[in-house]
Amino acid sequence: MVDTSGAGGRPPAPSVRLDGITKRYGAVVACDGVDLELRPGRIHGVLGENGAGKSTLMKILIGLVQPDEGSIAVGGQVVRIGDPTAAGQLGIAMVHQHYSLVDTLTVWENVVLGDRAGFDRAHARSRAADIGERYGLQVDPDAVVGDLTAGQRQRVEIIKCLRREPTIIVFDEPTSVLTPAESEQLFGVLRRVVSEEGRTVALVSHKLDEILHATDEITIMRGGRVVERLATADATAARLAQDMVGRPVSLRSEAAALGLVGELADDAASVEQADAHERAAAEQPVALRVEGAVVMGPHGRRLLDGLSLEVRPGEILGLAGVEGNGQRALVDALSGLLPLAAGTVDVAGARVATERPGAFHDAGVGIIPEDRHDSGCVLDMSVAENLVLAHPSLVAARGLVQRARLLDHARRLMAEFEIQAASPDAPMRSLSGGNQQRVVLARELSADPIVLVAAQPTRGLDVGAIEYMAAQLRRAAAAGVAVLLVSTELEEILSLAHRICVIFDGRIVGELARHEATPERLGLLLGGVAA
Amino acid sequence: MSDRVAEASAVVGSRAVASGRAGATERVRAALPLVGLYAASVTVALALCALLVSSTGGSATRVFGALLDGSVRSPGAWGLTVTTAVPLLIVAVGTIVATKAGLVNIGQEGQLLLGAGAAAYVATRLHGPGAVVLTVSFAAAVAVGALWAGVAAVMKYTRAVPEVMSTLLLVFVAANLTNFGLTRKWLLLSRARVVNNTNSGQPLPAAARLPKIHVFGNTISWGVVLALALAGIAAVVVNRTVVGFRLRMLGLNARTARRAGVSAVTYGGAALAVSGGMAGLAGGVWLTSGIAGDRFTAGISSNLGWQGLLVALLARDQPATAVPMAFVFAALRTGSGFLSATGVERRIADVVQAMLVLALLVPPAVRAVQRRRAPKEVPA
Repeated sequence: MVDTSGAGGRPPAPSVRLDGITKRYGAVVACDGVDLELRPGRIHGVLGENGAGKSTLMKILIGLVQPDEGSIAVGGQVVRIGDPTAAGQLGIAMVHQHYSLVDTLTVWENVVLGDRAGFDRAHARSRAADIGERYGLQVDPDAVVGDLTAGQRQRVEIIKCLRREPTIIVFDEPTSVLTPAESEQLFGVLRRVVSEEGRTVALVSHKLDEILHATDEITIMRGGRVVERLATADATAARLAQDMVGRPVSLRSEAAALGLVGELADDAASVEQADAHERAAAEQPVALRVEGAVVMGPHGRRLLDGLSLEVRPGEILGLAGVEGNGQRALVDALSGLLPLAAGTVDVAGARVATERPGAFHDAGVGIIPEDRHDSGCVLDMSVAENLVLAHPSLVAARGLVQRARLLDHARRLMAEFEIQAASPDAPMRSLSGGNQQRVVLARELSADPIVLVAAQPTRGLDVGAIEYMAAQLRRAAAAGVAVLLVSTELEEILSLAHRICVIFDGRIVGELARHEATPERLGLLLGGVAA
Repeated sequence: MSDRVAEASAVVGSRAVASGRAGATERVRAALPLVGLYAASVTVALALCALLVSSTGGSATRVFGALLDGSVRSPGAWGLTVTTAVPLLIVAVGTIVATKAGLVNIGQEGQLLLGAGAAAYVATRLHGPGAVVLTVSFAAAVAVGALWAGVAAVMKYTRAVPEVMSTLLLVFVAANLTNFGLTRKWLLLSRARVVNNTNSGQPLPAAARLPKIHVFGNTISWGVVLALALAGIAAVVVNRTVVGFRLRMLGLNARTARRAGVSAVTYGGAALAVSGGMAGLAGGVWLTSGIAGDRFTAGISSNLGWQGLLVALLARDQPATAVPMAFVFAALRTGSGFLSATGVERRIADVVQAMLVLALLVPPAVRAVQRRRAPKEVPA
């Protein structure tokens, strides 16, 4: 076993030891003989691309998934963790990527949720407040969770987790919903629970910056195996990136996919390029104009609150924002899936009849939705059918779908966009996430859109697929398409956008030229502080 | 979370590659377990029925013999079975159209009853050549069935009332409406002097009966041609046309369909109306086929609507598969007619029939459960 203690002398005995963990799903091995040791007083980073097996490994530790082989020892004792309750009894807790909070309950009610014994209301309230105080996680215990921001909800989740005094805490991609300032604060909390209280923390992430910044030791996973263990002090971004991806990578060109904000922010050449691009685009007439858009959510909340933006042909407008600030509503509205309570949308100068199904598609708005299973494709139709969803007449004659033409059309697009599928007749469901995304991209681009809206287009994809998507978006813009890139990943925005708008609480709170977009300024805007 | 999705799709992807390579043999192999399941579940049902019949003092062999005699073996039996299959198939075809659009119409029984009533109303009043009388009667049956399903469609698309509830509850309204019609001479009640206590409709004139085909001593209603044609048309429309493509898209993913320009109100409303219209037509065809007597009665629908729904379910929404399924259900109906002659108690005979229907429903249910479980092995 590699000594992972770094310069700190003899390592403390591990609090958890995973030995030879293997988990198979059919033919795919999610975890392949993985060994992992977590030590008290340390933050252990588990780094890997999407699909590397890190989430599966953590689910095994928390009892959500049962391993096919291997053993888990907690405090030197081999244990069987049948479910999360058993894990909780062993002092293992997890802060999930997706929260397990009940929106309609208050903060303190959520914190005590799941307790079997009776509880005393006053005591529970003050306990929730105390924990918040102790770790600098201030939240009003009487606030209703549904009214909180994503960052505040995560605090509740952490308080809920810490209240049970776990000795081992797993954080699964915790920063995806946080502003940079909130992430900073979170890492402060992590540091505190390990150094002052001697707890064990595992931080699962696919972002190099985070891992380098916040951990003591690192395990890198790729294709279900552990490929490297090292102390963070010995790690460099280049080395981590190569181990994670499995081939030499250019930190500069793939910074977005690797999660390196620093590389992007001060890349003078590309900033200059973006600004030059923007000056050229400014001469063009507006392709997409959204004016005072209001979308009402349930409970009378305004998901979009008078949002206005403009995108010109050939430019990529990056819409940055922390998750849950109305991005979903905007994209749904531009797909014709949510009605506008007020406001207008014009495409190439023509008003779009937002109420009519298909109006946006007909107007020339292509969409790569955030959740392609929800509104981007039909999983139970074939790849070929998915490639013509909005315009089946393209391959039809006299109202009959011509199979030969349908297949020809599909084969052409499959070749052009390098879609890996058994055949054009393969069900969409059988494709990998990256290939499903390519089908959506191929269909939307083949319709010659005036505007292309890409919402979180690289979420859940591996580094290669992320690069492909980025290249396609750049190519679309170069061909004169107005691209609206909606992303919560600052890295993605900084590497692709020519101009940046920040959305907060359903409104645009700031607009920056690329050269003005420093991580610090963006960070403030993301938190709703106007520039 | 995203890891899991990526892993899962990778698994499914590799499987699809494998199945693509194997091709047709793979498809045959995939169908084999289903055939085996049918054989097993029917065998078990037959064994249970035999046990039940013999333990209540009957003879199992006589019961099964009667079932066969009634459905296909005795002279003229299979003609009767085919004619009975006609309304079942027409109901099933309509149901399939609605299901493809993602709608659950379970009110065929009522739609069929009203369709039969409308056909009876027209047929007993209109004078003219048979072809005209029948055409107009059927048109009325379609219109009234479609209208009845249309009520559910309007409630769904204006007030978001689930069509499962509304179509079902409208069955009872329809039953009461036709019962009312049978108390009024200006509606459905026989205009002759009522000779018995039951309210019965006016007898249909000879011109308003569907012509018959005579083959090998069997008499089959011309309705069979109509039903097969409708099944063929539905198969082409649903699977081959642009309209069918958009209908399926709506059924499989309404949000994607909306973005692609498919209006749920137009397509969904039309699909519900078509399924109601078909059920109505089935009522008209059944009424004029003569098997259920020469006039409209309150009990004329006699579960044909429910059973047509089951046929669609068993055919897993393929019009072509619905054809043999409709025949099997019709055989169970006609076969049970002979059960009472075996001296087996009426209620036991009903249980036997229900058991055999259940046996046919088990395999698709097992498959559905298997399919739902498969993604649990491979989280998706």
